Amino acid sequence: MNGIIELKGVSKTFRDFWLRPTVKAVDGLDLTVNEGEIFGLLGPNGSGKSTTIKMILGLLRPGEGEVRLFGLPPSDPAARKRLGFLPELSYLHPFLTARETLLYHAGLCGLDTKTARSRANELLEMTELVHAADRQVGGFSKGMARRVALASSIIGKPGLLILDEPTSGLDPVSTDEVKTLVKTLAKGGMTILMTSHLLGDAQDVCDRFMILNKGRSVAEGRVDAIGSSLQEYFLSKIGERRDFKVAPFLAQ
Amino acid sequence: MKGFKAIFTATLLEIACDPLALLITLSALALSTFAGALHYHQFGEPSRMAREAGVSALLIPGLAFAVFSSIRAIRREMESGTVQMALAHSVSRAGFLFAKMTGVLAAFSIFFATVWANSLVAVKGSELGALAANGDIARVWGPSLALGVAAIAVPPVLGAILNRFASLRFVRTATFLALFISLAGVFYKFDSALALRQLGLSLAVFPPVIFFIALAGAAAVRLKGNSASALSFAVMALALPVLGAHYLPDALENGGSVPLGYLSLSFAAALPLAAAAFLAGVGLFCERDLT
Repeated sequence: MNGIIELKGVSKTFRDFWLRPTVKAVDGLDLTVNEGEIFGLLGPNGSGKSTTIKMILGLLRPGEGEVRLFGLPPSDPAARKRLGFLPELSYLHPFLTARETLLYHAGLCGLDTKTARSRANELLEMTELVHAADRQVGGFSKGMARRVALASSIIGKPGLLILDEPTSGLDPVSTDEVKTLVKTLAKGGMTILMTSHLLGDAQDVCDRFMILNKGRSVAEGRVDAIGSSLQEYFLSKIGERRDFKVAPFLAQ
Repeated sequence: MKGFKAIFTATLLEIACDPLALLITLSALALSTFAGALHYHQFGEPSRMAREAGVSALLIPGLAFAVFSSIRAIRREMESGTVQMALAHSVSRAGFLFAKMTGVLAAFSIFFATVWANSLVAVKGSELGALAANGDIARVWGPSLALGVAAIAVPPVLGAILNRFASLRFVRTATFLALFISLAGVFYKFDSALALRQLGLSLAVFPPVIFFIALAGAAAVRLKGNSASALSFAVMALALPVLGAHYLPDALENGGSVPLGYLSLSFAAALPLAAAAFLAGVGLFCERDLT
């Protein structure tokens, strides 16, 4: 094992209160993310992308297999020292202002007060939130909250950035800005693992990808080597389309 | 250490913005102010009613404050997902839980300072009222009652006006205004001996509070808010007779002061229990999947 993130034969089954298995979210997954690349974990809803990410972060324990983050088990806080994380939903404390939120995350990254303040100011400018810096984030729009969460995830200048659906809920302009930001961060040497079901975004940004379906890997490779659009490739691999039979409903 | 400080500070701010915590604080202030003003029941000793009301206001609403704040501080992190953001950094689960619980204890200290200061004003007013009555039925000492009422009524009104009725900021301002107004009342006819005696008496509240913060926090790691509250209050119902048997009579029989040995013994008994509850919480938290 020598990638920044390594999963070997990882499975995860969720259980109910009585420990009866309810759903197998990830099934025998092998995955390696190397330093400096932008890796896209793609798949339809419920394919196991977020579960995989949470196992990498140490938030979920795998039922079988082994997860390594910087060569350490993710439950070891030292493994998460150089990590930034943007979850699918912007989990923010509503009672903190945008500036306090950034300082809170700077504190969690172990930054000293002076560095924390200066980086918070830079990121507020970068995300165009200076005017709202001292407003509580509980009153922010979804897009503004997303920008605060994104800024929080990079305030520690992490070596590895994990983005779960980073463009979720953003307008096209903000989506484009996030994609540019991801590419710029990767050029600066940051390794990025992102999940998405927006294949156009993934094609624009990622170097390598893995497609998950029903918890299993169904395809893996370089984006520039697939020879078609990622959308077509994805549908050929997933091999199923949902066809909502709406006409009979409308006819009634 | 910086991670601890960040979580600790956020927890303190979170409780300062919690309307339930403010409501419990204002109720405790009302109990210590108005029960202390009842001069017809002094139990044969000037200011005894005020003293007893002050300690009761710290103990009963104080335990409610500790249990609800501990549970809400942890459940909100779990239910809103902010715990995932915190644990994605190099923060251990034990460290996270410890920082949350010490944040709750710090918030309780604000509650303690507010209610202690207010009860001191009530006790002082009761003594002054007894002196002024000169052996007759004691009368209510006006300035002390006015200070107590100001600590209850002014913070919510002024907090709301200052923040233009914005809910979270209003609660935070009102919480700190209640603290400042109550503390300011201490300096009215300041009596250092009385203040020290009342402080020693009130400090006996901390051992059970520390234990219940740890117990409620540990329960909240695994149980939903209502179940964790039910468990904590069930344990409290079992423990209250023990607390009642030792603590108020002890304090009152000693002329309103608690011997240092008694305080040390209470802390020595409560801290291992709190540590056991905390370790149980860490064990449950480490086993838990955060979906």
